[in-house]
Amino acid sequence: MIDAPLTSTTEDESADDAAMGEASFQRLHPLSIILKSIAAISQNLIAMGVLYFSVFDRNIIYTGLAAIALLAAIIGVTALVWSRFTYHIGPKEIRIKSGLISRNNRSIPFDRIQDVSLEQKLVSRILGLATVKLETGASAGEDGKLDALALADGEALRDRVRDYKSGAAATAADPDEGALPAAEPEERPPLFAMDNRRILIAGLFNFSFVLLAILAAIAQNLDFLLPDDFFNPWYWAKQLSEQDVVNGLSSSAQIAGAAAALISLIAVGLGSGIIRTFIREYGFRLDRVDRGQPGFRRQRGLFTLTDMVMPIHRVQAAILKTGPIRQRFGWYHLKFQSLAGDGSGESDHSAAPCAQMAEVEPILAETSIANVTADLEFCRVNPALWWRDAVLLTIVLSAVSIGIGLFVDPGFYALILLAVPIVAVKFLGWRHHQYTLTKTQLFVRTGWWRRKLTILPIRKIQTVDISQSPLDHPLDLASVTVGIAGGSPMAPLKINDIPMASAMALRAKLIRSD
Amino acid sequence: MTEAVSSPDPFEQIEQDEAQSYNQGLTPLHPPQKSLIRLNTGIFAIILTIAAAAIEFAVRNELPLAAGSIIGPIAAFALFLFVMLPNRIYRRWGYDMAEEQLRVLRGFMWRTDTIVPFNRIQHIDVAQGPFQRVFGLSTLIVHTAGTHNSVVALPGLSTPDAETMRDTIKGHIRQDMI
Repeated sequence: MIDAPLTSTTEDESADDAAMGEASFQRLHPLSIILKSIAAISQNLIAMGVLYFSVFDRNIIYTGLAAIALLAAIIGVTALVWSRFTYHIGPKEIRIKSGLISRNNRSIPFDRIQDVSLEQKLVSRILGLATVKLETGASAGEDGKLDALALADGEALRDRVRDYKSGAAATAADPDEGALPAAEPEERPPLFAMDNRRILIAGLFNFSFVLLAILAAIAQNLDFLLPDDFFNPWYWAKQLSEQDVVNGLSSSAQIAGAAAALISLIAVGLGSGIIRTFIREYGFRLDRVDRGQPGFRRQRGLFTLTDMVMPIHRVQAAILKTGPIRQRFGWYHLKFQSLAGDGSGESDHSAAPCAQMAEVEPILAETSIANVTADLEFCRVNPALWWRDAVLLTIVLSAVSIGIGLFVDPGFYALILLAVPIVAVKFLGWRHHQYTLTKTQLFVRTGWWRRKLTILPIRKIQTVDISQSPLDHPLDLASVTVGIAGGSPMAPLKINDIPMASAMALRAKLIRSD
Repeated sequence: MTEAVSSPDPFEQIEQDEAQSYNQGLTPLHPPQKSLIRLNTGIFAIILTIAAAAIEFAVRNELPLAAGSIIGPIAAFALFLFVMLPNRIYRRWGYDMAEEQLRVLRGFMWRTDTIVPFNRIQHIDVAQGPFQRVFGLSTLIVHTAGTHNSVVALPGLSTPDAETMRDTIKGHIRQDMI
């Protein structure tokens, strides 16, 4: 329960707080003790196993006693932490008091909450609990986490934050009375939903080798079971070439074998992509909510259910992602950038993981962000973006290949051929890096393999940079970087290598004060 | 350019004019900043030379090197940096307090030109390090909600200037722009 310094931590008890009194503060659901104990126990299982084999010398009685003592300690500490964690939902803010020894008294104003999400892991679903996460975007991770409340209480809290400013919330000062049944207008069809067939399509494009990587990691950890030379390719080459089974086959059978290996690799990639997508996106549903601040509500998840509400005015930019194959079939991934990140480690909020343009349009229409129209003409950036890199890369590659080719083996001269695919990718990347500006929005396209279109309303721009690297000076080029709230700090929205004069003119239009 | 530095010294005035020809006519930093950059570069150059000396002493028994074959080039490079860099870094810096925005220009090799509209600024700091205090300098730091450029720092302002700028900007900060 040690929390990072967060939104607004007040150590001194204000007069306001004194008036509220301790009585109005409530605890989390008692079952959350069990929830957290289970998590703690599973972390300590390995430690118990180690103890069983080392200190206790495989004595089951000692180990059992130690396990019981540990169990008691875990439950005791968890219960103690639980008893010292209280929260109060006021008319304008939520206050959280926590901490065993150093007390932490935090206040999160509803105004500052970017989005509220309810998360139900598998155990929480069995117990009927939900974890409430309040994101303010102030720091990494959740700024307020109530782990866990009864599902109904969590929904009530979410509705309360959402209803804030609508007037209804101001009168219902008592949180218990505020816990009205979540009267969602369920009769309205969702803005976007995905059936299993659609999730399967999304999974097909979610090709990943994660499963393979996991298998490799397992193999690495269990390598004492494997032959010594398992990771030595020569060992395998020798084994295979010496086997009559392989040598005895015809060359066409050998090729078929290699093809089968490749196909099985692809199958593993596709399979893991589909499984991951199903676990994350199962039952995907996006609704528009109108009570209080208008917002989007998204529900998804197979094992871990998440239910998130994001106010529409918090949307900073719309992002449409696709790929060369996906685009051919007309599939796009719509995301909204906001100050708070998505729970699953993504920096943007996924609004439609796999949708046709016709399905994207109505979602975008809710946010007053206009999509690309047919008559909108995009500008290319300066071709120096690809040829300068191509020249530099070819020089480096030729130096390397000549160096190794001369001193090690003439076969290494072939390294220079690597330049061909890399230059081709650079060229394609240049062709797909385009931008344009309308009266109210900036459109930026990047990437050939991972195509990304960012649609940014100009009034959401925070800062604009014009930067030049030493290589840009002789060509009088510059890159424009736009600072927006949210998104990844590693990959900001950037228009690379346009003429200095265009960059200056573009910035003047972007910074037009409203 | 509300914060034009008025300097009675004609030599300094020439220097200011020269600086402006490199930073697109923006307001140059307070002149003592150049001394501070020189001090920092000097410290860096000394550390570099000491490191080179340490390496040379460490490897002189293993490798058949002539005395000073590591220290020499590195010390020359450090001297080159110390002589060439500070003035060039200083004169590329520039800032401009326009009606509604702050513009900061910086960088000698990697140049960056940032504009922050006042109404996008979340909060402001005026910071002063120990060396800066000696020279009577301050850094103006503005925080924005943007993930890129969440902090824009403008060092090398005279402390009264930095405080005036802070007060000007403070009047423009709006509630909840995101």
